[in-house]
Amino acid sequence: MNSPSLSFARLRRELFATPLDGVITLALVGFLLAVGTAFLRWMLFQAEWAVIQANTTLFAVGRYPIEQQWRLWLLTVLLAAATGLSWGLLRGKGSWPRNDQLTAVILIALAVFGSWGLKLELPIQLRWWGITALLLVVRWAAGRWSQALPAPLLRLVPLVWPVLYLVGMVLISGGLGLMRVPPGEWGGLLLTLLEASFAILLCFPLGVLLALGRRSELPLLRWGSVLYIEFIRGAPLITLLFLGQNILGFLLPGGLAPDRVWRAAWVLTFFAAAYVAEAVRSGLVALPPGQLEAARSLGLPMHQALIHVVLPQAMRVALPATVGQFITLLQDTTLLSLIGLLDLLGTARTVMANPEFLGKNAEVYLVLAVLFWCCCAALGLGSRALETRLNPLAPSKA
Amino acid sequence: MTSPANAPVMIEARGVEKWYPNGFQALRGVDLTVCQGEVVVIMGPSGSGKSTFIRTFNALEDFQKGSIVVDGRPLTNDVRNIDAIRREVGMVFQQFNLFPHLTVLENLTLAPTLVRQRPKQEVEQQALELLERVGIHEQARKYPGQLSGGQQQRVAIARSLCMEPRIMLFDEPTSALDPEMVQEVLAVMQELARDGMTMVVVTHEVRFARQVASRVVLMAEGQVVEEAPPEQFFTNPQHERSRQFLSQIS
Repeated sequence: MNSPSLSFARLRRELFATPLDGVITLALVGFLLAVGTAFLRWMLFQAEWAVIQANTTLFAVGRYPIEQQWRLWLLTVLLAAATGLSWGLLRGKGSWPRNDQLTAVILIALAVFGSWGLKLELPIQLRWWGITALLLVVRWAAGRWSQALPAPLLRLVPLVWPVLYLVGMVLISGGLGLMRVPPGEWGGLLLTLLEASFAILLCFPLGVLLALGRRSELPLLRWGSVLYIEFIRGAPLITLLFLGQNILGFLLPGGLAPDRVWRAAWVLTFFAAAYVAEAVRSGLVALPPGQLEAARSLGLPMHQALIHVVLPQAMRVALPATVGQFITLLQDTTLLSLIGLLDLLGTARTVMANPEFLGKNAEVYLVLAVLFWCCCAALGLGSRALETRLNPLAPSKA
Repeated sequence: MTSPANAPVMIEARGVEKWYPNGFQALRGVDLTVCQGEVVVIMGPSGSGKSTFIRTFNALEDFQKGSIVVDGRPLTNDVRNIDAIRREVGMVFQQFNLFPHLTVLENLTLAPTLVRQRPKQEVEQQALELLERVGIHEQARKYPGQLSGGQQQRVAIARSLCMEPRIMLFDEPTSALDPEMVQEVLAVMQELARDGMTMVVVTHEVRFARQVASRVVLMAEGQVVEEAPPEQFFTNPQHERSRQFLSQIS
């Protein structure tokens, strides 16, 4: 109905309505063109991408042993399939909204031009094409046939993720017959995503509990939650990370203290939980008290009233802020490089310190920025899809 | 509509007193007895404590002095006792309080399936019958936000009935409705009374009270001022406070 048509008259109306508008438009267009061409010229002619091309593996997985990397490929394949499945089911009805089309195009472009631009070996390029194709095909199939699947089966689909997470942990760290790869050898994007996803998965339930605790009628629980939330929110993450590295070693006997990688993951989790708790609390506050009263007057015990009536509504309000918190968390993982972990930024710093690639900082940082942007965009798109799905009056469900 | 003299007592409140945390005394020793099949209408100016009073029956409000026995169970602080009472006492609110994230049908089936653990299909069947009874079964798959106020309140009544309560409490059920929707809700309540449901209704609807009530109770300043059959209450009130109230609402 209101699809924006790029007609000449419309452009004229919106960009050149008055002489002043016209001047501003021309100035802005000129500025953007100048910046754009300068950037393109740098990217195509001045930048030396060898620093990236030579270190793709390092950026991706750090010092993960080469002969064990098939495990990570397998995990990537599983992740692509699960993503496609969830994506298709979230949309349902075989529809491809504009956001989805855009995402598909970006994915294909990344797979084709990304792996070509990085001068990956042909077999590896082919692998990325295959994984991208798998993701899109599964997404198409899930959207196409989701209606045909029985509802109880569909309700089990979200469980794919925790199961996949456990499978992924085994694949990454070894055990169950696989060779062990200690956390010290994980690095790059692998470590960044691992830390972020671990913290995102665990901080969420913890944050919900803290938010409920803060509104509890039991004074000890309430004050405990308030104290925790306010203490964490009052301290910078970097100090907490250093604190975590040092204090856990003192508190726990030598063998029991988790590895540095896991210490950092727990600190991130506890840190993010305090912020998620505040987001969830905003959702709880927004809920009219009559909702809980109605649920309780129907005889629902407190925990059922919370699970079936209060939290679903509170979460819908809190979801955007919570996902915003997840995105921040993903970006905060760069601080791990300051405590000596080889996450994406830490790896990049070792590469830039290599005399062979001296002075190639701009190239490296640009790639980092693009990688982080891709991850955050995926999170944002996912949350938007979830929001639409949770809204009972959304056209897709009515 | 009038109950037999020896009908069992469903609600017995004796000397109920309630203070709010700020020290304000909302109830100053209220007595009320409701027998099975009775429809008791509570009237009174705003701030008289009538809503607070009926909200003590299912422990949405606590009280500090006196005693309340609901369906043979004394109201105590024991959570399991309170949940047991709430299963037998339905409540309809001024603001409907339907669950906006669930469909109309899911609003009805939520509590029976979770609390009574009845099979889902059976409950859905019953819910559809109830929705038909209140005249909105064709809206079963819609969400509350898509319904008019009158329809929402009728869904709220059906939701309470789906738990098969022995007592129904109505807390100003028509006060938030547009005038043209009041009648459709009152009609449902009237039919419920005709079927013998024990009801306590806080309302300002004189016509409803006259036609349906077994007794009318007037509350003011946290106390019962007058308690009488509707005909006597509206034509020949005994207390000055009642006369004053009636002159204000008519």
